[in-house]
Amino acid sequence: MKIVVLVKQVPDSGADRNLRSDDNTVDRASASNVINEMDEYAIEEALRLQEAHGGEVVILTVGPDRATESIRKALSMGPDSAVHVVDDALHGSCAVATSKVLAAAIAQQGADLVICGAESTDGRVQVLPHMIAERLGIAALTGARKLTVDGTSLTIERQTDEGYEVVTASTPALVSVWDTINDPRYPSFKGIMAAKKKPLQTLSLGDLGIAAGEVGFDGATSTVVEHSKRPPRQAGNKIDAGDDGGSKLVEYLASEKFV
Amino acid sequence: MDFDYTSEQQDLRDAVAKLGKRYGHEYFVRKAKAGEHSDELWDEAARLGYLGVSVPEEFGGGGGGITELAIVCEELAAAGAPLLLLVVSPAIAATIVSRHGTAAQRARWLPGFADGTRKVCFAITEPDAGSNFHKLSTVARRDGDDYVITGRKVYISGVDECSQVVVVARMADERTGKLKPALFMVPTDAPGLTLSKLDMEIVSPENQFLLFFDEVRVPAADLIGEDPEAGLPALFSGLNPERITVAAMACGTARYALERASTYTATRSVWGRPIGSHQGVAHPMAHAHIQVELARLMVAKAAALYDAGRDLEAGVNANMAKYASAEASALAVDTAIQAHGGNGMTTEYGVATLLGATRAGRIAPVSREMILNFVAQHLMGQEKSY
Ligand SMILES: Cc1cc2nc3c(=O)[nH]c(=O)nc-3n(C[C@H](O)[C@H](O)[C@H](O)COP(=O)(O)OP(=O)(O)OC[C@H]3O[C@@H](n4cnc5c(N)ncnc54)[C@H](O)[C@@H]3O)c2cc1C
Repeated sequence: MKIVVLVKQVPDSGADRNLRSDDNTVDRASASNVINEMDEYAIEEALRLQEAHGGEVVILTVGPDRATESIRKALSMGPDSAVHVVDDALHGSCAVATSKVLAAAIAQQGADLVICGAESTDGRVQVLPHMIAERLGIAALTGARKLTVDGTSLTIERQTDEGYEVVTASTPALVSVWDTINDPRYPSFKGIMAAKKKPLQTLSLGDLGIAAGEVGFDGATSTVVEHSKRPPRQAGNKIDAGDDGGSKLVEYLASEKFV
Repeated sequence: MDFDYTSEQQDLRDAVAKLGKRYGHEYFVRKAKAGEHSDELWDEAARLGYLGVSVPEEFGGGGGGITELAIVCEELAAAGAPLLLLVVSPAIAATIVSRHGTAAQRARWLPGFADGTRKVCFAITEPDAGSNFHKLSTVARRDGDDYVITGRKVYISGVDECSQVVVVARMADERTGKLKPALFMVPTDAPGLTLSKLDMEIVSPENQFLLFFDEVRVPAADLIGEDPEAGLPALFSGLNPERITVAAMACGTARYALERASTYTATRSVWGRPIGSHQGVAHPMAHAHIQVELARLMVAKAAALYDAGRDLEAGVNANMAKYASAEASALAVDTAIQAHGGNGMTTEYGVATLLGATRAGRIAPVSREMILNFVAQHLMGQEKSY
């Protein structure tokens, strides 16, 4: 089985993150960049499947030059090789355009299974898995907290607010995962030392047959026109545990429609 | 001059930091207070190959150097969960075996160091020979196919969790009768060897012991190097890795303490604004941060020289790195406690828990006075005072 894992480099969600003042895109230059957290779970799931069923695991990243740091880190966990789509024209791409690039790269690779994180910590749109599956004409099993593979048949437990749904499909398919699915491994020292020696293929838009105008700002279906910082949090409402503390609390909860 | 670590070293640093954070200082303190060891952390780090980074690849190790091992030591300490025995087992014992063991000894012992399943402690200090190891009185004599060891060792770390201990004894030269150091790999459960745990004022999952050797028999094949001449160079080969890794660990602990302090002072407010806005609080932290960064630079330099095979220069720098990092970490912990006020002395805030260990860093494995003696005498041409 050939598994392609989508890995995105994002600004560390634990540190200060900003949008650029000139074009409202994510400021990647001044941020400390890491692998999108959910993608580590996708990598882990792919490696576990490979350990159980054999086959090959390929990392696929669309991103600027410096995304190679994240690709190297992903490879140090154990995947066999990586594909990096890098092109200046991609800057400013919307989710629809990004899905076009990813789908083209996946189609070129040929994959039995595509695994990705359910969302990225910078964009948080959660639409990419569906868009990619739609473009490729394959099943989308999204939001998995558990994945089982039996030959060509796939079953996931799809995490919902109330519980979970059991969804099945057959390969080729795409599965997006939440962080409840596994515990990602740490790269071993041998894995770290081997990462740089693994095959890394760099592709441009031209290699995928996509014109520059179809992506980036020119091809964007949506653009951020303005942004501002979230206002600082207001001081909370303090209710003293005095005589009327209880009724005040109920009043507050009722006013906020919590009860 | 290049101040960047390689991408592999940087990735190792990130990976170890992540692992260390999952355990954290709370784990470390819980283990110490329960009288338990950091077995889970040791085993997990071992499985990932982090403890065998400096063991040659042909024996299953990572094939890296002391730079890599120092990174592992520093990052675990920076997460609040140092592993003291890294300084003894992979740094001292594995280096001695790797550089001075016979081919058979290397094949026998190094694979266990590589995968972390072999934990070995190191015993040189004696009640009457600490700073002055020329006064060692533990002796070994040849008896048939064995050596027989008699003597005492003190403050030996981790004996209860190690399968073997490298013992520095003295042996009479067959021709001249002069006593020379000889190093033996001795099982910690050898007949005639008794341990007595010392009560130390250090919060640490590792313990120190007093060891009595009463006619302990060791096969000749366990004399490291199998040649009485191998003793002195073998002993010296362990000292640089020891100093560099202990210094790296101290830097990590210092970073941990200052991170706790700066997080606290950024939010704790006494006069209507964060106490970190008072220079009386912020400047000591900034000062300590600078001392720690200077020490880290010295550790990196000493490790780079050592890995380049420049042992003599590495020795000078390892000593200075050890001195600087012990001072910086003692300062950092003291500063962090002060910045926390009363909370600084609680167990919960996890800074006073570091007092004993960082204070001991000024004494062990070589005291600050002995390093100052060394620098004054060898680098500044002053007359020996002792
Ligand atoms: C926590 C801890 C762990 C340890 N673990 C180990 C271990 O695993 N294995 C091991 O072998 N040892 C270990 N030691 C022992 C340690 O290496 C010794 O304590 C250290 O070398 C100092 O020796 P000493 O205690 O005999 O002090 P002494 O030699 O008695 O020195 C006492 C004081 O006098 C000073 N002094 C001595 N001579 C001079 C001089 N000429 N000029 C100026 N000042 C001088 C010293 O600096 C020191 O301050 C450990 C110690 C501690 C505290």
